[in-house]
Amino acid sequence: MTLQTTFYLSQILGKKFISPEGKILGIIRDFLIDTTIQAGPDPEPIRPRVIAVKVKAGKEAKIYDFATFEVKRFKQKLQVTCYEVHETAEEIGPNCLWLAENILDKQIVDINGRKLVRVNDVRMVMIPSGTYAIAVDVGIAGLLRRIGIGWVLQTALDPVNVSIPGKMILWDDIETVDFSNSSIKLSKSSSKLHMLHPSDLADIIEDLDRATRTSIFASLDEEQAADVLEELEPKAQIEIAESLPVEKMADLLEKMPADEAADLLDVLQEEKAIKILDEMEKESSEEVRELLEYPDKVVGSIMTTDFLTFKEDMTVEETINEIRKEHPEPSNIYSIFVTDKNNKLVYAISLMELIIANPSLTLKKIKKQKLLTVFDQDKVDSLAELFSMYNLLAVPVINRDMELEGVVVVEDIVEDLLNRRKTR
Amino acid sequence: MAIAMRRKSIWRNVALFLAILGPGIITGSVDNDAGGITTYSVAGALYGYNLIWTLIPSFLVLIIIQEMNARMGIVTGKGLADLIRENAGVKITFFIFIGLLIADIGNTTTEFAGVAGSLGIFSVSKYISVPTVAIIVWIMVVKGNYKIAERIFLVFSVALLMYVVSALMGKPHWQEIGHSIIHPEMKINSQGIEVIIGIIGTTIAPWMQFYMQSSVIEKGLKIRQYKYILMDIIVGCLATVVVAFFIMVACASTLHINNIVINEAKDAAMALKPLAGAISSQVFAFGLFIASIFSATILPIATAFYVCEAFGFEAGIDKKWKEAPQFYWLYTGIIILGAIIILIPNAPLIAITIWSQVLNGMLLPVVLLCMILLVNNKKIMGKYVNKPFQNIIGWSSIVVLVGLSVTLILMPLFK
Repeated sequence: MTLQTTFYLSQILGKKFISPEGKILGIIRDFLIDTTIQAGPDPEPIRPRVIAVKVKAGKEAKIYDFATFEVKRFKQKLQVTCYEVHETAEEIGPNCLWLAENILDKQIVDINGRKLVRVNDVRMVMIPSGTYAIAVDVGIAGLLRRIGIGWVLQTALDPVNVSIPGKMILWDDIETVDFSNSSIKLSKSSSKLHMLHPSDLADIIEDLDRATRTSIFASLDEEQAADVLEELEPKAQIEIAESLPVEKMADLLEKMPADEAADLLDVLQEEKAIKILDEMEKESSEEVRELLEYPDKVVGSIMTTDFLTFKEDMTVEETINEIRKEHPEPSNIYSIFVTDKNNKLVYAISLMELIIANPSLTLKKIKKQKLLTVFDQDKVDSLAELFSMYNLLAVPVINRDMELEGVVVVEDIVEDLLNRRKTR
Repeated sequence: MAIAMRRKSIWRNVALFLAILGPGIITGSVDNDAGGITTYSVAGALYGYNLIWTLIPSFLVLIIIQEMNARMGIVTGKGLADLIRENAGVKITFFIFIGLLIADIGNTTTEFAGVAGSLGIFSVSKYISVPTVAIIVWIMVVKGNYKIAERIFLVFSVALLMYVVSALMGKPHWQEIGHSIIHPEMKINSQGIEVIIGIIGTTIAPWMQFYMQSSVIEKGLKIRQYKYILMDIIVGCLATVVVAFFIMVACASTLHINNIVINEAKDAAMALKPLAGAISSQVFAFGLFIASIFSATILPIATAFYVCEAFGFEAGIDKKWKEAPQFYWLYTGIIILGAIIILIPNAPLIAITIWSQVLNGMLLPVVLLCMILLVNNKKIMGKYVNKPFQNIIGWSSIVVLVGLSVTLILMPLFK
């Protein structure tokens, strides 16, 4: 006899459980699992333990402690025995979930696959220390097992040595998100969603319903939420913006690059956009307001206003130290800019040129390419060609007085090209 | 001043209505597909004005059902397939969607039959028209822009109003029409019941419920826009019923009077030629063509989408073939099957049309039952559950439909 029994949730739901004497005590309806991560020296694989079971005993629904239950396989058949029943409180702990109600048939996030999948079944194991949910079944095999024709097909396929493709995802690699039918909230601390790239998370959020979107969004920290918001499609951005309070939106927009914030505000209703702008800190809201004034299709509307400027008598070493201190986003230092005392642009120096230059030289003395600029009122269409012709990563944007207004980086160009292809 | 203010608010209302306009009207237009036109033509030719009354209860039930769909979509933000899978479990989901898949392959076949028939009036061979249209539709959806295609077809579906022209050219007797709506004269026999089920089945097709709910979600509608959504639904249902009315009238006032029996929509178009003139016939055929190609574009992609949604496969035309293989294979499979069946020489097209309607008729009460249970579930709908009068109409529709479907299935046994 082995000390471990593995089984599927679908095989045990609706099963009768019996006393050691063989008396039928009731029918199993659902399992409550505790998903709290046990703090330990090593990151143990996450296996939520079953702590309670919902049963139908007689005509009533009851919740019993699972410790006195045992699942055994007897001649290929699952058997559930219960030594004595202990009723537990209805109250559910903060990290607890019902397997049938909250997970089975619901959509979950496959963290490694970076997509939404639907749970067809849950793989469980009983070992001496308790019963655990170990993986979710999202494959066709699980689907066929649920319909009740899995074994028919498998028997038919056995002679040709083919097996029905199954797909299991370990508990470490999933996150539950859909609690639309219950009062449970997505927990902030334990969420695995932060392991996803903001772009992937944005794609997933777009595929979910409104309530779930909002609850996922509420569980993210501000930095992450701003990154995800930036990556969402305009339609989803509007929905999120409408569901969040104005103050929260303002906080998020402050964390976003001014050009992205302006793009987002541009698609919102004007009243809402003005309210959000008024709520933002003055410095960031002014930058955004300036950008909003540019009409679509001119360079000013897609440029970023986050860039670094230096004086021409600074040495290369001082400049690099300054950059280290500033810790800018990668896309903001493709080039750095040198301005004179009237704020007029004199040089653009690429990061490459800066790094290979002699550290003791001043910015004025080092070798650099000829200055290439565009005007803020130029058409966006002309930029892609320019970027491609000169292999640029960034180009400074100036106004008619030669003052530096912003920078267009290659990402903005790619995005613009993709958008244009979409709307064609 | 007061008048100016009021006018402004009227315009504001019109603007708001136009902005959310869509789901109900598109659904209403797709509803008048090749199968619908066939059924209405046959009903008109066989029974004259005597079956026009069926459009009134169909209209009411259609509004109640689509309103429930819209409300569920708005409140939950989830598609009907999602909701059924999450709340009814795998077995019921499996039954519904296998049924839906088979019925929709049949429906797609009917759409291609409509393409073949209507272009046949303009002397285009079906061996040219059907493959060409199938390929165009496939490319338009997979490689092109589906949303734009949908909008273009919506504009084109104004062409369905040509049936009004076609009907007027047949010089209908309005008095008689009015009289037979109030006092229909028909013998209750098996053929009559079959045609009545056909009319209801094609007017309230099960797949429309899924389509309606997704369109509402796609559009991102909110509960505060409810008033306009309801107007959109009513306009859409009205469009369906008005077009149906005029098709019946057109066929009744020409074919029925001259005792011409037809089996297909294209028969109606051909029969109209000597009676109401070549233009009337061509107008009828053109309307059939637009309706068929519109539905042939929407139906296969929608079906593939709901099946994938229910079983948890990735779906959506924004996904690549590699990311969502089940979705694309299903879509392609439905189109290919639908087109090939038409091209088989001597294919039993009428039997296919009838059987896909029978399947529709069997599925409809099951889908409605799921819907009414979902929409009354407080956990899902909160305070937006059905009101008593909606439940009364909903439940009685289910009872009547189950009764009719059972009759239809049992009828051949007693013949």
